[in-house]
Amino acid sequence: MIRGLALTALIVLASGLRAEDLPADRQIGPGASLVGDPARGRLIFGTCRGCHSLEQETGHGIGPNLHRIFGKVAGTQKEFAYYSAGLQAAAFVWTPQKLDKWLQGPVIMVPDTTMMSVSMSDARQRTDLIEYLKQASVKDT
Amino acid sequence: MSGEHDSAGMPTSKRLGLSRRQVLSGLGGAAAFSIAGGSAAVPRSSVKSWDMATDILVAGSGAAGVSAAIEAKLAGAEVLMLEALPQLGGSSIMSGGVVYAGGGTSLQRALGVADSVENMYAFMVASAGLHPQLEKIQSYCEGSAANFDWLVDQGVPYTQKLSTAKGLPEGDESLYFSGNEDSWQGRRMATAVPRGHAPGVSGKTGGRRMMEALLASTAKIGVLTRTGVASQQLIVESDGKVAGMMVSADGQKLAVRVRRAVILASGGFVHNREMLKHYAPQLYDCAVPWAGAHDLGQGISMGVSAGAAAHRMQEGYAATTIRSPTQTLSGIVVNTTAQRFIAEDASPGVLGNAIAYCQQGAGWLITDDRSSLSLKQDDFPLAAEGQSIGDLAHQLGFPPGALQNTVAYYNRFAGAGEDPLFRKSTQFLRPLQGPPYRAWNLSVTQTFTPTYTLGGLHTTVNGQVLNGFGETIPGLYAVGRTAAGLPSAPYFAEGLSLGDCIYFGRRGGQHAVLQKVSL
Repeated sequence: MIRGLALTALIVLASGLRAEDLPADRQIGPGASLVGDPARGRLIFGTCRGCHSLEQETGHGIGPNLHRIFGKVAGTQKEFAYYSAGLQAAAFVWTPQKLDKWLQGPVIMVPDTTMMSVSMSDARQRTDLIEYLKQASVKDT
Repeated sequence: MSGEHDSAGMPTSKRLGLSRRQVLSGLGGAAAFSIAGGSAAVPRSSVKSWDMATDILVAGSGAAGVSAAIEAKLAGAEVLMLEALPQLGGSSIMSGGVVYAGGGTSLQRALGVADSVENMYAFMVASAGLHPQLEKIQSYCEGSAANFDWLVDQGVPYTQKLSTAKGLPEGDESLYFSGNEDSWQGRRMATAVPRGHAPGVSGKTGGRRMMEALLASTAKIGVLTRTGVASQQLIVESDGKVAGMMVSADGQKLAVRVRRAVILASGGFVHNREMLKHYAPQLYDCAVPWAGAHDLGQGISMGVSAGAAAHRMQEGYAATTIRSPTQTLSGIVVNTTAQRFIAEDASPGVLGNAIAYCQQGAGWLITDDRSSLSLKQDDFPLAAEGQSIGDLAHQLGFPPGALQNTVAYYNRFAGAGEDPLFRKSTQFLRPLQGPPYRAWNLSVTQTFTPTYTLGGLHTTVNGQVLNGFGETIPGLYAVGRTAAGLPSAPYFAEGLSLGDCIYFGRRGGQHAVLQKVSL
């Protein structure tokens, strides 16, 4: 099974296929250990980028700024006016693991969230995105 | 021939071994485009009982749906507005909230900007590409000033401040040049005036601020609203009139009876990969779909299934926004053969359209030491860096001498403040000279080039959906990006889409109330 997953990952990388284009039985399931590809993650972040900026000086957009997001307490950034009550009360720290869970279903974690996204069901996409964010959210110069 | 039987006359559902329930719920995958679980229109005779009833059903809660709902409710109809996502607001709530408005709006007048309906119409028609929908443009221009007043009345805040900087104001200024009115080309079309009307809030939260105001209005006047309810199928009478809609909520299918009209306002289809591949292949290749998560083409496919014609389905918004324009636009943009093809200060929608639709999706921004993009930005990857233009050309694999020729020609005239090829504004004209030279990838597959679809159902100026023979489908309206509206490619000014949503959404709501009540 593990080999099957690894092979699938290789096929996805080699062919340039989007993971979402794969048949359901070849999608990479939850729990698989993956190494994220930040270059792919950067493109996935493009969809998030309309609302979230990674650069401190750009400030907040429709969504909160994500500069140095890992380690911050969720729902507490100053000057961001659109946190839901649920996120303000959530009191958890953003870690890669928390973000992975969040991306699978923001409304499952915080039902009243104002984030306009449903879910990222593809584990590879989430892993790629998180790998990119680990690097890109800490760029200072 | 209905889609329920195959060529051998056998019900498709039986041949595929599916139960009727699976087919109805879309689980069988029979509808290639449906990832939201919808399928073809069903005859009213197959609906045994109704779960709900309303005069007007609005599917979608973005600016178009909300504007339609407000007008229909104010005209005395009972209105039910459904939203598939858990949150109201559609893609509009993610936008900058810019509305393209003119012809002498109260804000233009307050700021001493002299515009007229004729001036606005002249600019829009000249900018709108081939064969635009003139009747819609004319109606929009004639109604634009009053439409802006309506937004003010709804509580959308605007400041009496003008921004002369390029791009959406960073501060709280509410009026700016959101298109290329002030360019050499724009000035040949009409008198240059600013028409981008943005809510008076700092940053990019104007769309949220606008939708907060409009959604507060719907609640105040008594529009019934439900979230987490997805449109699935239109229900059609034997004479073709739309009689209702099948919707799904919490895994249950419900039949909603509609006495006057269904207004489809469920956005475009940029998140539906199959529809993109089929209708808008250029957008399929773009890396960044930009719309609410439920822009799955549901409204468009339901309309087509009820006999609607689709219009300009290949067209889309693709915006290449080069940041720090004051210094960066001194660079040049070239294609795969190292040729310039556009004035670099074209508005983001025009530049993005040229790259996505006219240059096979590829382009490079060439900068010198003074015009370089920030190395920190991630929107456009650094593709090459060198001490000479020749270095860059070699690294990028351009035809021998081509980039050198392009830069030499450009520099020869830019030194004199001229751009004989494309007439870039003189404020951005100077020779490229001074290493390091850099090439930045502008290709739509690799960059932050937000895209959404502009094609949709063919409609009248009142939002009535037309069939392939130009006849209206009774009881069916489409507004916003579910319709092929005012904005078409190239997208020549920010605020056209949202402006269209609000103006034609309102018209659709007003007109739908005039439909005869069916019992």
